[in-house]
Amino acid sequence: MDKKETIEKLKNIVKPYIKNQEAFENLSESTDFITDLQINSANLVDIILDIEEEFDIIIDNQSMERMLDIKSALEIIETKVSEK
Amino acid sequence: MIGNDIVDLALAQKESNWKRKGFLGKIFTRNEQLLILNAKNPDVMVWNLWSRKEAAYKIYNRQTNIRGYFPLQLECFDLEILDGIIFGKVIVKDFVYYTKTAVSTEFINTIAVERLQDFASITTLENRKNIKKNNEIPSYFEKNIISTKPVSISHHGRFEQIVTL
Repeated sequence: MDKKETIEKLKNIVKPYIKNQEAFENLSESTDFITDLQINSANLVDIILDIEEEFDIIIDNQSMERMLDIKSALEIIETKVSEK
Repeated sequence: MIGNDIVDLALAQKESNWKRKGFLGKIFTRNEQLLILNAKNPDVMVWNLWSRKEAAYKIYNRQTNIRGYFPLQLECFDLEILDGIIFGKVIVKDFVYYTKTAVSTEFINTIAVERLQDFASITTLENRKNIKKNNEIPSYFEKNIISTKPVSISHHGRFEQIVTL
């Protein structure tokens, strides 16, 4: 799976939870889930569970700890998918 | 140091399904999950514990400048009800914070402090005037006074609360 495809999948996962449409439209690797997309922190768990389902991976607590922006999410997905 | 959190219960019900498979296990320790499952009203207990963790995280973030998503490492202890207010502690790594939680039918509100005596000095601000953020962490600047006061802002749905010490 290439990065572009992963970003598209991630965008679809994140979309229902965003509170800032403009930041979503300008999404880049540095986009922060909480400060930019203004996602409620309780919904970050939903995003993590959705990622686990979509990519069939398990995100351990250590990875979850740094799941704050698109860049880290992509890195975590890539690592976990390659470990499968 | 101060941290607060407010949960609009109607919005929380709409936004989150805590019964979703895997949800509780990613956020709540085994003991916290028992508190939820044995509670008279599990919905309220979920947001009660969550708001403590959030309020405590805000102080931790201010003290250490560490940002992260580690709800399992913020564990709630010693819940005790006095005159309808729920007191407790949240432990994060080497830090202990004291929490005070009010539960109404519409919202849940927690304020966390570093020292028990700080509960007596909490004031609520009506607006964001004189509040500036540095690294996303807000402080209150008084006119002609160099020192600043720590501020914590929480907004969810219909409710907003701004507190300072």
